[in-house]
Amino acid sequence: MARFYVDGNMAKFVRKDICLVDMELYTGEIVEDLEPRRLFPVSGRMKYITLLDSEGKEHAIIRDVETLSPESREVIVDCLREYYLIPKITGLLERTEKYGVLKWTVKTDRGIQQLRIRNRNADIKQLYDGRILVRDSNDNRYEIIDYRKMDRDSLKLLSADI
Amino acid sequence: MKVESVLTNKDVPDNIRDAFNECIQPDEQLLFVVVGDLSLKAKYETTAIGVTGSGFMVYDPERGEPLKKYAHSDVSDAKVKRMYGNARLRVNFKDGTHEDVFRFTYSVATLADMAAAFIENIAAGKTVEEEYDVVAATYEKLMNVCPKCGRTLLHPGAECINCQSKGKIAKKLLKYVKPESKTLIFCLFLSVLTTAVALAPPYMTGRLVDKVLPDKNRGALGWIVLALFGTYIFQHLIGALRGYLLRCSGDRIVLSLRNDVYKKAQSLPLRFYDKTSTGSVINRISGDTNTLQAFMLRISQEVVVQLFLGVGIIIIMLILNWRLTLLSIIPVPLVVVGAKIFGRKILPFYRRIWRRWAGVVSVLTDTIPNIRVTKSFAGEERTVNKFKSYNSEWLNVDMSAARIATVFPHIVSFFVTCGSLLIWSIGGNWVISGTGGLTTGLLVSFLSYASMFYGPVNFFAYLNDSYQQALSAAEKVFDILDAEDEPDEAKGNCPPITGKIEFRNVNFSFDRTKKVLSDVNVTIEPGEIVGIVGTTGSGKSTLVNLLMRFYDNYEGEILVDGVNIKNIDLQYYRSQIGFVQQDPMMFSDTVYNNIAYGKPDAHVEEVIHAAEVANAHEFIARQPDGYDTVLGERGVGLSGGERQRVSIARAVLKNPSLLIFDEATAAVDSETEHLIQEAIERLISGRTTLMIAHRLSTLRKANRIIVVDQGRIIENDTPEALMELKGKYYKLVQIQTMADQLARSKKEENFD
Repeated sequence: MARFYVDGNMAKFVRKDICLVDMELYTGEIVEDLEPRRLFPVSGRMKYITLLDSEGKEHAIIRDVETLSPESREVIVDCLREYYLIPKITGLLERTEKYGVLKWTVKTDRGIQQLRIRNRNADIKQLYDGRILVRDSNDNRYEIIDYRKMDRDSLKLLSADI
Repeated sequence: MKVESVLTNKDVPDNIRDAFNECIQPDEQLLFVVVGDLSLKAKYETTAIGVTGSGFMVYDPERGEPLKKYAHSDVSDAKVKRMYGNARLRVNFKDGTHEDVFRFTYSVATLADMAAAFIENIAAGKTVEEEYDVVAATYEKLMNVCPKCGRTLLHPGAECINCQSKGKIAKKLLKYVKPESKTLIFCLFLSVLTTAVALAPPYMTGRLVDKVLPDKNRGALGWIVLALFGTYIFQHLIGALRGYLLRCSGDRIVLSLRNDVYKKAQSLPLRFYDKTSTGSVINRISGDTNTLQAFMLRISQEVVVQLFLGVGIIIIMLILNWRLTLLSIIPVPLVVVGAKIFGRKILPFYRRIWRRWAGVVSVLTDTIPNIRVTKSFAGEERTVNKFKSYNSEWLNVDMSAARIATVFPHIVSFFVTCGSLLIWSIGGNWVISGTGGLTTGLLVSFLSYASMFYGPVNFFAYLNDSYQQALSAAEKVFDILDAEDEPDEAKGNCPPITGKIEFRNVNFSFDRTKKVLSDVNVTIEPGEIVGIVGTTGSGKSTLVNLLMRFYDNYEGEILVDGVNIKNIDLQYYRSQIGFVQQDPMMFSDTVYNNIAYGKPDAHVEEVIHAAEVANAHEFIARQPDGYDTVLGERGVGLSGGERQRVSIARAVLKNPSLLIFDEATAAVDSETEHLIQEAIERLISGRTTLMIAHRLSTLRKANRIIVVDQGRIIENDTPEALMELKGKYYKLVQIQTMADQLARSKKEENFD
């Protein structure tokens, strides 16, 4: 079965709830209560956004959010912003290691946070473009967009773990 | 009841405590508080939800009005909506409105689930007393963490497995060195002996230069040369013996360490392997144990020898000329300080090298066993490129480390050389001017001792390097050795199992991001044959994984014959279950040993009988080597259906009380399916059987069907009743009937 891809002005999106939208197709058909989710939450960012109903059934895929009309784009971006919480670590303020558990105090775009990392090898993933993905002991996710751009003190602390 | 005395996951900040206390009515009792970490606007803030018997209050500083109170009686339902990295508690009110009242990260997700259930149940009319017990139990379980490292303990008051063994690395490694202590002490004695002998030649050389050569004493020259010859023979003979003994001891040390790590790797729970690549585990067992062995020998032997040598030389040098000795030790503080800086710089590199190397190994363990897939998809080039890129990553890091690791010793050597230049220039002047009582021979002897003295100095400078390497390897090895075993607290409790299975309020998620099973409640009577159906990813296999105790970190209870499976000896429990998987794993061993894997002491005829029951005997008998046929890795040499029948024979031999088939016939043709089906039917009679199946035709013997959808059991009845219900099962049957008809008519068309 062919996937239904949404491009450009093929559909209009209206915010229904914090993470729900109604999709109105150019044919006039309306599909209500769809939840936008990233098909590639780690790598894809604003491309390939799937639209799922409450049963988890996919109704369409938005190829690229940037191609939508400004209103629809805002609706989808807002929904995704609410759904995905991946704080961006901008600085490493403190690093301690005790009993095999790493404790980081980090500055993020959401405020300062303390996190515990149980397994340095499994929970800190360094990607090739300078991105680092971090998972804490509670399965919360964090991201360092480009560690090479961090300040010297942060880099010094981080260098022990990457 | 005031906030101070209620159940809470963290200290309630003063401002929140005061706000709650002000809001509580005199007749109201605060029962529990969940301190959150995220505002509704997704900023890190301290928030809280406080629940009383009649309502709940939420504090969120980011809201215009930080404190809000709600009555349970207004609530229609309360649910936690899990998102990515955060979740919300949404309350639907009886007037049709709804509100997201509390937002949080996964750190408090379980408590928020519990709060939602409490609010919903009280709103539905359940009593506070009844619900409070659940709340108290949840808090007790969650707060049951190690104060040192924060890991969850097995039970209240249990010693933390992670911390109990976190001593000094050397102390931990001592366990492996101890059995070899006699040999090592003997080797040490030999080392001291050879070292002491090694101190003689420079003195004799000095005597040669000062006395024998100027006096032209040929007799004394002969004796001294003979004595030097003797010391060299002694040094090398003893050195060879010592080397041999050390090698043997070292091998035994690494053998015992490797055995322990492998044994531990076998007893680790599956969730360890969910997060750790097998490549990295193999790397730890093969490579890191060797690094540690080398380090242990270095520590137990060389440190003492070099220390002895260093002290011995210093004493001799002081006796020869104390002023020159002081000159010789000028570079030492520089070396010591340099070594410290070097150690700090090099450790992160060793960690990085290890990670890159683990990456290389993981490509190997991924691709070499899957070489058929690689070849069939012409992926050789891609695989080689991937390997190259991982290998280059390793090279880059290793080269960066090499820069530091090689530059540092040269700096040390430079200072050492400068030291000898000092001795030459000052000592030489003293010899020429005849001051300081220094003779040419004494100066030559002194220079020999000085160069020998820099040996131990160099050694201790390098020791930090090997210590850092060992530290990095030890971290990885102890990651395994210190990891929690599969919990088996009921060792020795082996109650007879007849086969009644109960799932009570079971909830499970692999991590906290998504619930894989929700509110599973089901009872299966002894001897029942139960089919478990559902779409891919619905949670069927997870249900079985929990029953197999592959994962123990679920909420709720699973009972077999009324006993919680966590209270049954793990090995005994698993030995009572026959588990046949879709892709049965075979070991690189004979067919016979593969069948007898679960019962190694089985009689030959038992094995043959098991193969007969499994419809495997005939094809085995046709093999030139019969039951002695050696299978390749992962069962290469047998077809998929044959491997499946061998795995059924394995289950037959085990004579289990419970049987689990996970898509046992999904990957075979119809004829083989018939043979396997026949074998299964022989095997299941009289045993409680769970059969996960996509092909509903394989469930024709089932007297009950459980339909799993999105982690919930949505239908549970006889096949006939479910057909009448016309629900999900009915739909699945309809779809498969149509598909079968289509396949049949196509087949007929082709024959026509």
